[in-house]
Amino acid sequence: MPPEANDAAAPNPPQLWRGLEEYMDSPAFHEAMANEFPEDAAEWTDPVSRRNFLTVMGAGLALAGAAGCTPRPASMRKIVPYTRQPEQMVPGVPLFFASAAPLAGYATGVLVRSHEGRPVKVEGNPDHPSSLGGTSAIDQASVLDLYDPDRSKTPTRSGTPVSLDEAVHAVRAQLFDATGQPKQAVRLRVLSGAVTSPALADRVAAFLTQFPQAKWTQFEPCGQDNVREGTRRAFGRDAAVNYDFKQADVVLSLDADFLGDGPGHVRYSRDFAARRRVRDSIPAGADGEYVKPENMSRLYVAECMPSQTGSAADHRLPILSGQVEAFARAVAAKLGVAGAPAAGTLPDAAQKWIDPLVKDLQRVRGKSIVVAGDSQPPAVHALAHAINNHLGNLGTTVFVTAPVEARPDGKMLALADLVREMAANAVDVLLVLGGTNPAYTAPVDLDCAGAVKNVPFRFHLGSHQDETAGTCEWHINEAHYLETWGDGRGHDGTVAIQQPLIAPLYNGRSAAEVLAAVTLAGDTDGYDIVRAYWRKRFADEKRAGVFEQFWQETVRLGVVANSAAPRVEKPTLAGGWAEGASPAYPTLGADEYEINFRPDPTLFDGRFANNGWLQEVPKPVTRICWDNAAYVSAATAKKLDLDKDFRWTGGERGRTEVSVVTLTYQGRSIKLPVWLLPGHPDGAITVHLGHGRERAGAHVGNNPGQGPNAEGKQVRGSNAFALRTAATPAFGTGAKLAKTTDHYLLACVQANWVMTQVDPLNGTVIDRAPVRRGTNEQYKTNPWFAKITPTAAGETALISQNIPGQAGARNPESGTVRQRGTQYGPDHDHSNGNGNGHEGHGHHDDRLVPLTMYNPNDRLYPDGSRGPGRRWAMAIDLSACTGCSSCMVACQSENNSPVVGKHEVTRGRDMYWIRIDRYYEGTPNEPDATRTYFQPVPCQQCEKAPCEIVCPVAATAHSADGLNDMVYNRCVGTRYCSNNCPYKVRRFNFLSFQDWSTESLKLGRNPDVSVRSRGVMEKCTYCVQRIRYGEIVAEREHRPIRDGEVRTACQTACPSGAIVFGDLGDPASLVGKWKAEPSNYGLLAELNTMPRTTYLASLRNPNQELVDALKR
Amino acid sequence: MHPLVQNKHDLVSVGDAIGNVVLDGKHPRGWWIGFLAGFAMLQVLAISVAWLFYMGVGIWGINVPTAWGFAIINFVWWIGIGHAGTLISAILLLLHQKWRTSINRFSEAMTIFAVMCAGVFPLIHMGRPWFFYWLYPFPNIAGMYPQFRSPLTWDVFAVTTYFTISLVFWYIGLIPDLAALRDQARNKWQRIGYGLLSLGWRGSAIHWRRYEKVYLLLGGLSTPLVLSVHTVVSFDFAVSIVPLWHATIFPPFFVAGAIYSGFAMVVALAIPIRHWYKLEDLFTDHHMDIMAKVMLATGFLVTYGYFSEIWMAWYGHSLYEWGTTIERVFGPYGWSYWALIFFNCAFPLVALWSRKVRRSEFWLEMVCISVLIGMWFERYVIVITLTRDQVPTEMRELLPKKQGGGGGHSIMENAP
Repeated sequence: MPPEANDAAAPNPPQLWRGLEEYMDSPAFHEAMANEFPEDAAEWTDPVSRRNFLTVMGAGLALAGAAGCTPRPASMRKIVPYTRQPEQMVPGVPLFFASAAPLAGYATGVLVRSHEGRPVKVEGNPDHPSSLGGTSAIDQASVLDLYDPDRSKTPTRSGTPVSLDEAVHAVRAQLFDATGQPKQAVRLRVLSGAVTSPALADRVAAFLTQFPQAKWTQFEPCGQDNVREGTRRAFGRDAAVNYDFKQADVVLSLDADFLGDGPGHVRYSRDFAARRRVRDSIPAGADGEYVKPENMSRLYVAECMPSQTGSAADHRLPILSGQVEAFARAVAAKLGVAGAPAAGTLPDAAQKWIDPLVKDLQRVRGKSIVVAGDSQPPAVHALAHAINNHLGNLGTTVFVTAPVEARPDGKMLALADLVREMAANAVDVLLVLGGTNPAYTAPVDLDCAGAVKNVPFRFHLGSHQDETAGTCEWHINEAHYLETWGDGRGHDGTVAIQQPLIAPLYNGRSAAEVLAAVTLAGDTDGYDIVRAYWRKRFADEKRAGVFEQFWQETVRLGVVANSAAPRVEKPTLAGGWAEGASPAYPTLGADEYEINFRPDPTLFDGRFANNGWLQEVPKPVTRICWDNAAYVSAATAKKLDLDKDFRWTGGERGRTEVSVVTLTYQGRSIKLPVWLLPGHPDGAITVHLGHGRERAGAHVGNNPGQGPNAEGKQVRGSNAFALRTAATPAFGTGAKLAKTTDHYLLACVQANWVMTQVDPLNGTVIDRAPVRRGTNEQYKTNPWFAKITPTAAGETALISQNIPGQAGARNPESGTVRQRGTQYGPDHDHSNGNGNGHEGHGHHDDRLVPLTMYNPNDRLYPDGSRGPGRRWAMAIDLSACTGCSSCMVACQSENNSPVVGKHEVTRGRDMYWIRIDRYYEGTPNEPDATRTYFQPVPCQQCEKAPCEIVCPVAATAHSADGLNDMVYNRCVGTRYCSNNCPYKVRRFNFLSFQDWSTESLKLGRNPDVSVRSRGVMEKCTYCVQRIRYGEIVAEREHRPIRDGEVRTACQTACPSGAIVFGDLGDPASLVGKWKAEPSNYGLLAELNTMPRTTYLASLRNPNQELVDALKR
Repeated sequence: MHPLVQNKHDLVSVGDAIGNVVLDGKHPRGWWIGFLAGFAMLQVLAISVAWLFYMGVGIWGINVPTAWGFAIINFVWWIGIGHAGTLISAILLLLHQKWRTSINRFSEAMTIFAVMCAGVFPLIHMGRPWFFYWLYPFPNIAGMYPQFRSPLTWDVFAVTTYFTISLVFWYIGLIPDLAALRDQARNKWQRIGYGLLSLGWRGSAIHWRRYEKVYLLLGGLSTPLVLSVHTVVSFDFAVSIVPLWHATIFPPFFVAGAIYSGFAMVVALAIPIRHWYKLEDLFTDHHMDIMAKVMLATGFLVTYGYFSEIWMAWYGHSLYEWGTTIERVFGPYGWSYWALIFFNCAFPLVALWSRKVRRSEFWLEMVCISVLIGMWFERYVIVITLTRDQVPTEMRELLPKKQGGGGGHSIMENAP
């Protein structure tokens, strides 16, 4: 209703009015007028900063993107061009920015791809030593956290939204008196996760100077406490240790999952794989990427829970976690390490290990590594260091450096102190600064959540309204790492700058910003804080050059040059390193078990419980998703008479009903499903932490649509933190397991199906050999062994000749190892394509696409000149794959694959374009002899694709460069292609799996890939959008595509570099070289599918002496 | 030579006996039970299909690798059943088997309804059924024709052709009968309706001559269809490279199975009709006997097929074939294989040797129902093969879900 002059509600209308509120003269309007900065409006202190640019660009585009999500047809939408085009921004052309993905304080350098201001894909930063281009699954999924619809979106007070100013002022009022002086009497505690960030640490230090009475506590439930303490004992000082697995001939892991867990595992995977990728004709290369079979490294693992490292091991000893120390002592004693404590009793199998193992370690003095696991007590770490010292590894393969963490201290103990103070009402103000969720993760015997309530003023900074937020009165929403400036250090201390790619979606703040805001100290903007810190440090370190140049270059690269923690030259063992050894391990009672707590491989300590990608991706070894379970050995399962029921259907895939057990430890108990895990030692139980969170988030972690957990709660999995005490955070004895009558449905995408099947008629073993595997000795005698197809051994030569990239290789039946060098190598002389240099090995395989409908000459150059006949192909080295699942998440992120939820996974409908098959060798009853193999299976892009000929509408067809394309728009959904695909890599949208309604998720999708709706088939495309992008760039620059220029998402993500992709038409391509290797084979190639994806056989390097010893 | 009609019927009494059934509109209680049950299930079908189209095929238990489920099983089952009509009409016509005349009409009707039922399933099993017409060649601006190498494209042509020919055949054969009904009509509307449908049939010699010629021609035309349609349907499996699908025995094996189940369906429907409508004189015990003997013969052909599958899997030395056979027979779905063997082979092929069984309404009905169940299981066993193929890790179970599955039967219930 338009206001009128005689409106009774407006007694004194001014002549001109600026709005209805003014006209109406309401008190709210007066208040708003008085407030120069309206609520929630960010104050910009640096109008020309990069951050500001990103703010405007990101927020504007976020809004534009959100506005574009209306159901109006595209033709009616308004598309508004930039009035002023931001620099470097070309719509449709992605930009990459370097940043740093933090986890438990440690940062991994990443390159983040941004489409029109929206970060959509995380890649590893090749310049950062913790990444070298690879990433973990968690890093890959971190971008989804940014768009998590359940993120905390506003500051709150007791759950009610308040303004940021209000929250900041509330904290300030606690810290400063009326005159603005710091209150020295207030008992102040700051709690955060582990901090390596130099800028944040600097800010905390300033805070502690301002408030000398304050204490800073760092708490990480799955942190490096043991590593730190063990190192301190060994070297008598705070130190960090990192390893060079490239130089190690023999590695002994004492329950250390260095390939799957902990800071640096991405880097270690790369280094370790470099000594496992056996190549016949490819030289080792400058960076030592390949080895000859005789130079393969050897890995021994003694561990409890089967890990990725254990799966990659040449010899794996399943042993109780508590016995690892005795094992380490026995090794040390046999080696003659001075001052080593006496070894206790060992299990029989472990005893047999000692002699051959020690002999092997002594054989390669100075070129071995003994590494102890994060969950092993400090004494084991000290022992490992002593052994390394004894073997002369320090300084050659093992490097002791200055500490990486800003303040290395015992995280678990520090929290215990804090809780004690809180319980004694000795804390007035508690500031929880993100990265930690003690109300959920603290040891249960501390009763942290209860003690917090004694603190009068509780403040929480966090990304979610999690359990800890629930115990705190005040809360500020934390900015995601892609939203705010910061820095962090990698496993070796190298600093990566954390550069934001988008303005905070919900106006969140980082810990450093909050600290600055509440103390009114200097800069309050993250950019200024980080930059100011580095300006100071630049001056302090007397670095050469101009700061501005240094800063620009550093931000661009994402890595601060020469910032690795300085190495300790000639580290020496401290005198009392052997002190504090654990008491003799108690013998377990008949119905007693050792309980092991491990961080979840994907959810970590539970902080990713609302991340759908990490919930759904099957855990690396167990292949279970959406849940945790009590992992036990076959003998334990039998003893407890546990059920595993597939109903009448068999259920090898997707759906398993298992018994629910009550797991009791130190008087506390939880109920959870139990899972028989081959390779798990008898007498122990392993549970993964991080499940069962009650305040994880409504969309994923507490989504009622996924069904209740084994305890009947609407959470994913059971909370093992409810059993974990401060004294035994990693493992302890005396746990009890009792079977209940309940059953629980687990989503396990692959049950205990071994590679082999037994023929009931004659008892012989039918081995389909999807993973061809052998030893390096076998390889030396017959490198072609992998080519022998189990189903048609007689036709091996014919079959391997039909594998793309193989025709140039010599007949494997001749039995002779192909000559190396130029004569038969892929780069030898070809004068006319078929003549010179081809004697003895036939023609090169220059078929383009045997069955294409397109003109094979229809190539890159429009003038008709023959462009390169591109034949995209992939090779996967099974020796290098550790099953980490990073490729699966990377693919999901790149290709907009939906999360289908547990219910649909149990119905066999997961949507992964690349899956990792896990096979066991041996019998589940013998954990010692169980071997694990991983096989990533994307679409094999068959040249003779069985899927293509059966599609009635030609929705899947070959492209001119040999890709097996899927045309979503044409697909009518008969699903015949999936039936006829022998690899079963096609995925069907049985229902509308995509989330079409959540606005924030739409921002995170890759605009280069169609979002598929229900009723259509989809599958791996070899990241065709990246291929086409590479082609366009190359065409514009009038040059051929360089080898390695086009990289698929899985290839880029792979920490161990197990995947290579490229053009077989390019004679120098790396993929062509891999495929020319004798160990290259095609999965199911005997079906004559001519797969473009091939595998390099899994090679192990067992110690024959140990093999013999174990037989005895 | 057995009489084709018992109890001294003449043309008039036969005409009365059949015409009364149609024209009187008085139905025995059994008809009402059958009709209402069928009609109720038709509603279930309608609701299920509506829900299916709204949600997508994910409401069924299909998954990857078992991407086909009950829809394809039912499709093949119904198509197979439809073959009896054509066989009886066309091949027996060409072979001058006079006994066919008392059963050909409703077996042809059964064929048409069976093919209609069958046609529903491929349509509703599609992920995006609203694009079903993309399977037909039609001019369009995308310049896309169907992909003619796909057996599913062949299927579309085979089934469409089959339905058209069956419909024409059935209608041509029906013309004199419609004229007889017109002549016996009880009221004006019946007279007009049947008059229009009978196309001016007067029963003159020249009409009969032309009628016989057309009928013979159509018989000749549809004879190859008996063999071709199910052969093409079997190609849906045989052309693929799925172990145990990829077999040359499939075409003859499927045709034999189709005739087996088709005859079973004809007899299974004929027995209640003859019982309730008192048509024992027209559909005699002798008819039952002959039909049962045909079933016995085709049943053995089908059994040979089962044997041959296993033999070839073993003899062929393919790990995949043999491994899948082991799983088929002893694996988690082994029960369905043994159900197939029992219902299709063990019970009918023993029982049908007995003349008493062949001439007993009750026992023959039991045998026929057994065969129908058995043949359904045959298709179940074939489709369920998808749970076990080449890659061990991608083996997972199918979860049958009832929704939408039962609908097909209801249309059939309305057929007689």
